Amino acid sequence: MIRFIYKRLLGAIPSIFGLSIITFLLIQLIPGNPVLTYLRVSNIQASEEIVQALRVEMGLDQPLITQYLQWLTNVLHFDFGTSFISKRSVLDEMVLHFLPTLQLTTVAFLLIIVCSIPLGVTSALHKGKWFDRLTQLFAFSSVSLPTFWLGFLLIYFFSVQLDLLPVLGKGSVVHFVLPATTLAIGYIGTYLRLIRASTIEVLEEPFVLYAQARGLKERTIVWRHILKKAASPTLTGLGMSFGNMLGGTIIVENIFAWPGMGQLLVESIVNQDYPMIQACVLLLGIVFFLTNLIVDILCGWLDPRIRLAGDRIK
Amino acid sequence: MKKRSIWAVSLIVMTIILSLAGCSQQDEKETAATKDDKKVFTFSWSGDIGDLNPHSYFPNEFFSQAMVYESLVYYGEDGEIKPWLAKSWDVSEDGKEYIFHLRDDVKFSDGSAFNAAIVKKNFDTVLANREQHDWLELINQISTTEVIDNYTFKLTLHNAYYPTLQELTYVRPLRFVAESAFPASRDTFKDGLTAPIGTGPWVLKEHKENEYAIFESNDNYWGEKPKVDEVVVKVITDGESRVLAFEKGELDMIFGNGVISQDSFKFLKESGKYETKISEPTATRTLLFNTNRETMSDKNIRVALQHAFDKDAVIDNIFYGIENKADTLFPQNLAYTNVEVDPYEYDVEKAKALLDEAGWKTVEGKEFREKDGQPLQLELLFISTDNIQKSIAEFVQGDLRKIGVDVKLTSQESNTFWTTAFDGNYDILFTATWAVPFDPHSYLASITTDSSGGGPDYYALSGLSFKKELDTRIKQVLLTTTEEDRIKQYHQILTMLHEEAVYLPISYQSNIAVYKKNIMGVDFLPQEVEIPTTTIDMKN
Repeated sequence: MIRFIYKRLLGAIPSIFGLSIITFLLIQLIPGNPVLTYLRVSNIQASEEIVQALRVEMGLDQPLITQYLQWLTNVLHFDFGTSFISKRSVLDEMVLHFLPTLQLTTVAFLLIIVCSIPLGVTSALHKGKWFDRLTQLFAFSSVSLPTFWLGFLLIYFFSVQLDLLPVLGKGSVVHFVLPATTLAIGYIGTYLRLIRASTIEVLEEPFVLYAQARGLKERTIVWRHILKKAASPTLTGLGMSFGNMLGGTIIVENIFAWPGMGQLLVESIVNQDYPMIQACVLLLGIVFFLTNLIVDILCGWLDPRIRLAGDRIK
Repeated sequence: MKKRSIWAVSLIVMTIILSLAGCSQQDEKETAATKDDKKVFTFSWSGDIGDLNPHSYFPNEFFSQAMVYESLVYYGEDGEIKPWLAKSWDVSEDGKEYIFHLRDDVKFSDGSAFNAAIVKKNFDTVLANREQHDWLELINQISTTEVIDNYTFKLTLHNAYYPTLQELTYVRPLRFVAESAFPASRDTFKDGLTAPIGTGPWVLKEHKENEYAIFESNDNYWGEKPKVDEVVVKVITDGESRVLAFEKGELDMIFGNGVISQDSFKFLKESGKYETKISEPTATRTLLFNTNRETMSDKNIRVALQHAFDKDAVIDNIFYGIENKADTLFPQNLAYTNVEVDPYEYDVEKAKALLDEAGWKTVEGKEFREKDGQPLQLELLFISTDNIQKSIAEFVQGDLRKIGVDVKLTSQESNTFWTTAFDGNYDILFTATWAVPFDPHSYLASITTDSSGGGPDYYALSGLSFKKELDTRIKQVLLTTTEEDRIKQYHQILTMLHEEAVYLPISYQSNIAVYKKNIMGVDFLPQEVEIPTTTIDMKN
């Protein structure tokens, strides 16, 4: 197992390196000039002198390759530079935005698991009955609801009309309810259908029949044997979704005034804040890589055959 | 068993919902209790308040800088310059020396004294980064700063630059921080402040970046103390969320320009549950014609477009009367802008006649006019995310089609938009003046400097035959020494711009305020970016 993790970690280095080069080249394609953008958001009217001075200060007067190598050397020393726009440390800003997103994502993620697994399994067991139909309806509508509309709808009913929950900001546990629900609902719909489908598939396998013949309690069969088998295809998807949510969900963040990664990333792209974009993409690359690694380990734990196959290849 | 599992699921979901709802009620009670003993006023802003450094720019916000820091002189109603930290001033005959007599009762919020030495120190740190503040002409004009005595400060300029006092009222960079706020390097621009300590009515009490900031009343304040004890500024990026938070009661007021949609404003106003107010015009939303393009270089065409555009329809249908119709480049309530000109009235027939005169004739069976076989097509550039610009652009397109002009709408993301605008790749462009206290003199000055230095206006106007003369006149007016001369020269410049029809003013932008009925004293301040936090009071 340790060998497996070690190999995967080594394998990730070239991908992340490649990612940083591609990002670096792509951001050069954003139209406009970062110096002028900085001046504009600061409400400063540009003059030739100040533009030149800022170009030197931001290191934009250097050739591209020098800029990249300089950036890479700094990053290897854990120096992500300062933002072109806010003039603050990129690392500090990133941590400041990443933590709220991590919190929100974790809560939403738990909500997805807690809701979609029991709902999915139960509707598979009741295939074709009213409960199944009901979850199907829920699944379709939740996936097709636009997030911003759902968010406002939830705020309108639960905060403004019923006065149960706060509209925005973060602080206490209750502040998580609406944004996490908004974020999770679409995913719950997807995953409950996925779990339902794989459960139905597993239900027809012979081992279920044997288990029943062995006289095991139905509860044990469902929650220990069937679920374990049905979970692996869902897990891979969940891993990707977790990464996606950590990348920030600009819409949910905007609606609920949640200061997260999505806002930071979109803002830095709009403002051509090169060091910030680079650092964010790097962070997200690492996040995706780590969640995938964890998913692979979990899949191996759930289904030892995967682990064995992986070991044999080496 | 099957039934039991369904119940188990429902039970879990119900428990979660109920436990969370329970928490929320507790939370509500707590905030209600704290509100009872103190007057806490809450509003929202679309971004963080920033570093609270008066000598620096983004991410600093004007309104928060203005709450904590003050200027030597204040921009009053109708552009009148009023005493503030300086109780009076003398200007030398040649207009190059300004002597300020400072108030002797001003203290910084940390208790330290405000005097000529600290004024000089603040000026000097700003001047040490001259090139960063190069946009502000006064910075370039300052030659020396001197302490005459404890409460007398002298400013010497290179030229008799008349807008000196006006530029001293700006929110940044010429406002004052206390001795203890200076970093070890003495460079407030590069190294920031150790703490945001100013002379203003508010002191920063608590700040959670990107979430909220709490300001409390400054005990050492020399002027009239604020009526409420605390001001809370919550960060809300989205306009619709702002409206919902306000309806929920999490905000006491919505304030600003473009902070909520026109529809939301109308909805809140018509609900009858809240008070609403609209400020005097602050800036002008206008179209700019690019005189470098061959078609637009013809004055007849520009005038025809002015007559063809039905402004009233836009005011009624897009702004619901929230922004007033504009006929001149600057609102008439600013200093030197009260110029009498004949507005271009909506007159389709006149517009058609002008196009005929210019040689653009209607062709049988074709929708658009032609000249030498070329159809009359104009490109209108606007920012893709700006819904107001988009709606107006569609009105313009419709109106001009009626006189046989084909308008091509081009929308671009804001950075690309500005790049295209500066490069002059358009026929018609959306733009706006800079609002007081920058209007009119700073805006006009920007017309005279080339594209990297000013606005897109420099290039757009450079197709005019008298552009050189216009530039000279604008530069001259900034160095005039008598009021009479200044009024006369501004009059000529503004009349010239109006007659050449290079701008098509649409509406005057205003600040809006929507507030709960228990809030009083929401009086707009002359500077667009200031929020009337000191006059606001609330009944419990």
